[in-house]
Amino acid sequence: MWGFRELIKSKFLKELGEISEYDQAGLDSLRRRILSVGLIVLLFMGIIILRLWFLQIHKGEEYKNRADNNRVRIREVAPPRGDILDRHGKELVTNHPSFNVVLVREDSNDVDDLLKRLSVILKEDVSVLWERIRDAESKQRHIPIRLKENLSWDTLAYLETHNKDFPGIRIEVFPSRLYHYGDMAAHIIGYLGEISKSELEKAEDDFYRGGDLVGKMGLEKLRENELRGDKGSDSSEVNARGFEQQLLAHTEPIPGNEVRLTLDINLQQAAEEAMDKDERSGAVVVLEVKTGRLLVLASTPRLHLADFEGGISTKNWNALLDNPKHPLINKAFQAMYPPGSTYKMVTALAGLARGVITRDTTFFCPGHINFGNRDYNCWKKGGHGTVDLHRAISESCDVYFYQVGMRVGVDVLAEYANKLGLGIKTQAEIEHEKAGLIPTKEWKRKAKGVKWQDGETLSLAIGQGFNLVTPLQLCQMTATIANGGKRYLPQLIESVTDADGKVLESFTPKLVGELQADEKKYLGWIRAGMVDVVQGARGTARTVRIPGVTIAGKTGTAQVVRLEQYKHLREEDIPYKYRDHAWFTCYAPAEDPEIAVTVLVEHGLHGGSGAGPVAKAVMQKYFADRIAVEAIKQAVMQ
Amino acid sequence: MLRMDRRFLASFDWVLLFLLVLVCGMAYLNLYSATYPSSGGMPPYLKQGYLLLMGVAGILFIISFDYKELHLWNYPIYVFTIILLALVIFVGNSAGGAQRWINLGFFQLQPSEPAKLMMVISLASYYSRKETVVGYSLQELILPIILMAIPFVLILIQPDLGTALMFVIIFISMTVLAKLRWSTYITLGVSGIVMIVLGWCYVLKPYQKQRVETLFNPAHNAMEEGYQILQSKIAIGSGGLFGKGYMEGTQGHLHFLPERHTDFAFSVWCEEWGFTGSLFFLLVYFFMLIWGLHAAMSAKDRFGLFLAFGVVALIFWQAVINLLMILGFLPVVGVPLPMFSYGGSSLLTTLLGMGILLNVRMRRFQTESTLEGCDG
Repeated sequence: MWGFRELIKSKFLKELGEISEYDQAGLDSLRRRILSVGLIVLLFMGIIILRLWFLQIHKGEEYKNRADNNRVRIREVAPPRGDILDRHGKELVTNHPSFNVVLVREDSNDVDDLLKRLSVILKEDVSVLWERIRDAESKQRHIPIRLKENLSWDTLAYLETHNKDFPGIRIEVFPSRLYHYGDMAAHIIGYLGEISKSELEKAEDDFYRGGDLVGKMGLEKLRENELRGDKGSDSSEVNARGFEQQLLAHTEPIPGNEVRLTLDINLQQAAEEAMDKDERSGAVVVLEVKTGRLLVLASTPRLHLADFEGGISTKNWNALLDNPKHPLINKAFQAMYPPGSTYKMVTALAGLARGVITRDTTFFCPGHINFGNRDYNCWKKGGHGTVDLHRAISESCDVYFYQVGMRVGVDVLAEYANKLGLGIKTQAEIEHEKAGLIPTKEWKRKAKGVKWQDGETLSLAIGQGFNLVTPLQLCQMTATIANGGKRYLPQLIESVTDADGKVLESFTPKLVGELQADEKKYLGWIRAGMVDVVQGARGTARTVRIPGVTIAGKTGTAQVVRLEQYKHLREEDIPYKYRDHAWFTCYAPAEDPEIAVTVLVEHGLHGGSGAGPVAKAVMQKYFADRIAVEAIKQAVMQ
Repeated sequence: MLRMDRRFLASFDWVLLFLLVLVCGMAYLNLYSATYPSSGGMPPYLKQGYLLLMGVAGILFIISFDYKELHLWNYPIYVFTIILLALVIFVGNSAGGAQRWINLGFFQLQPSEPAKLMMVISLASYYSRKETVVGYSLQELILPIILMAIPFVLILIQPDLGTALMFVIIFISMTVLAKLRWSTYITLGVSGIVMIVLGWCYVLKPYQKQRVETLFNPAHNAMEEGYQILQSKIAIGSGGLFGKGYMEGTQGHLHFLPERHTDFAFSVWCEEWGFTGSLFFLLVYFFMLIWGLHAAMSAKDRFGLFLAFGVVALIFWQAVINLLMILGFLPVVGVPLPMFSYGGSSLLTTLLGMGILLNVRMRRFQTESTLEGCDG
């Protein structure tokens, strides 16, 4: 080695010789230059220290917060949604765990291949799965994206046992709604759906996040704030890759409040099943006469709630829209119909209260009446002969009410219709309620721009013409007549109880209107007529009779069209959509009314035969005990 | 071979050694925290221990002979280093898209690190041979420019822009110290600007350009380059006055901070020790550099002076670039904080450089011990 060194040394000896001879002055000048370099070093040190001071002292607090935000991730824990019960505590809607497949993109290296294999197992098209991922594209990669809800046990078991084959796929347990009575009262209960962008923006508090489920219809929507509960949270420390290192804090979610409805699910079921016979389309409303509790609020055809869970498919949605029976509309209060003969109670009350008639006033019914060069027919072509108020109601004589209507006028009719709740919203806790229409002279001038024709008052008096009511309004009217003139707010909520059992809200009857004392006394005469509608020998709804319970009611037929071409046809031969609507509204027991039942069957032709059987089925269910007692009595007596 | 007479021992720079030990001690402490818990393999702090022992051996080796020997060995050292740099391109191990390492079995050598020291020795050797009063002309600079350009290009194509630029910076530092004519300054300055413009347009890779661009708006591109600078600033800033405590830093331990034991090691220190701790470190570190300049000034000859100055410049510029980078003033270029960032090649190179400083310091008095005396 040293030999090599000698070789090098000899080679560079000439240069080496030069090193030893230095000009001391040149060296000193270099030293001075180094001294000024020292200043540069100090300058940079100053800059760096100032910067450190700025970051650590001046902005220290700000960066401390940012460091905390960096590392603490708050994960929400969904609260169980509140249960919905019927008035007797029967569970209508509760929660059950739904098993969903979620994808964490961060943990999956080949999403394309993964989805292809997964689509076979989930029996879902690959494009559908991709759609779900695209919807959540903007989210961070560690946030799970739901691919499919409500896995079957077989799928669940397969995925659990083969989880190694599906990196990034996890099973998520999520509380989901369980409908114990299928689609009963579907319109009223409503359904849940993923929160929409506009709903997110409109939300007053920052409770919701994208992907949350919210009530979209019915009570699920109206009582969303009570049912939803409070979210819990897990605060955990995460590292830069998003993996949780340790749990820092945990807050339990607070379950939603339990909502008990005034609905009687057994009665609701009886009503809906009666409507299902002959595939009736229409509505059934049952009110507790002395309180305003809604015992039944049914609309058919029913909605199929399962179709709505996780977003309704376009196919199902279009089918609902195209259905001629309009299942999306709650016919109990979102649709309006001419009241037909059920309106005769209003005409009677107006006539009595204004002194135009008394109980004993009679009119002669020849089967028609001529007014202003036009014949107005009674439904009974041969005529009723001489009729008083009692017979006019029980046999539904049109001519009698033409006479009364002619005498009181359109505005007085409207006044009493309003007093009985027609033409105004009931203000019940329901969505998109229709107010109906009770015409006045002024209304016609404003709305149609023409003067009121007196002939129109005649049609009005028997419930045809411009008049429009909802089944809910008519039921409220029936209850008001039955209880002696007190108009109660129809209510759906029996009580709301929080998770600790504290009652937050409980039912109290709310009076929204009351007839004057002198008006009330006429109701007795009207009620007597209504009793004979069912119980009388010539009543129009004799088929509704139930042994042991006295029922009072009124039939109604609402004309859909008045077309000459169908006049000669038998009723059964008229096309469905041109057939008359059938009304039946009643209360029972007549001696001490408890419930009022109103049935509307769209295109059901006659009140008695079309709507009556449904009301009868509801009564039979409600009075089942009393009917049984009566049956035993009868048996014993024989 | 170890022929140290009493005089050398008496003039040994204990202050410099003390500062060196202090800095290495803090670096070791910090490394332990930054890499805890280590994931498999030999824990970095153990590796660093071995490296420090190797460094001590290296220092002892360097101070055992007169620094003038380096003058003699200059060209063999230069050629050997260039061969290593060329070798990297063909047989090097790549990481992160760059080929920088040669696997020596027990050690991953990054030849660009010792090449920095080689550059210092070569330039010191050249400038000490050529004395000037009015400053160098452009012609006289042709050889040093070529000496610098060869490793510069070899490292640039690895590609390692940060390290390559260090060669330019060392060259400028030492050349400016050696004094240039005004005409030379102007010519070099203009051509330098032209080179930068051409380099930006034709040589820089997109990721390198992006690094420069994100410097001006780190939050804008938070998930990419700016993320690192942002996380570094959060780590440093959240340290506050007294820091989060040793081993208590969250940014580092939760892996928000990238390269937390290498380039961003000082961010971890700032987070855990706060402003007081970082101020202490900086005062020690810069005092060490100032002391190094003092060593250069006290050198007995031109070669020693340039050698010591070059070593200090090498450490100083790397430190300044690294610190300005982690503080968000410079783009993310892979320049370590010498002796503080984890990295064997860098640590050994720096320690060898410190050995040269100690050597120059030790032999600062005129003695009979010329090169001839050393012989035999």
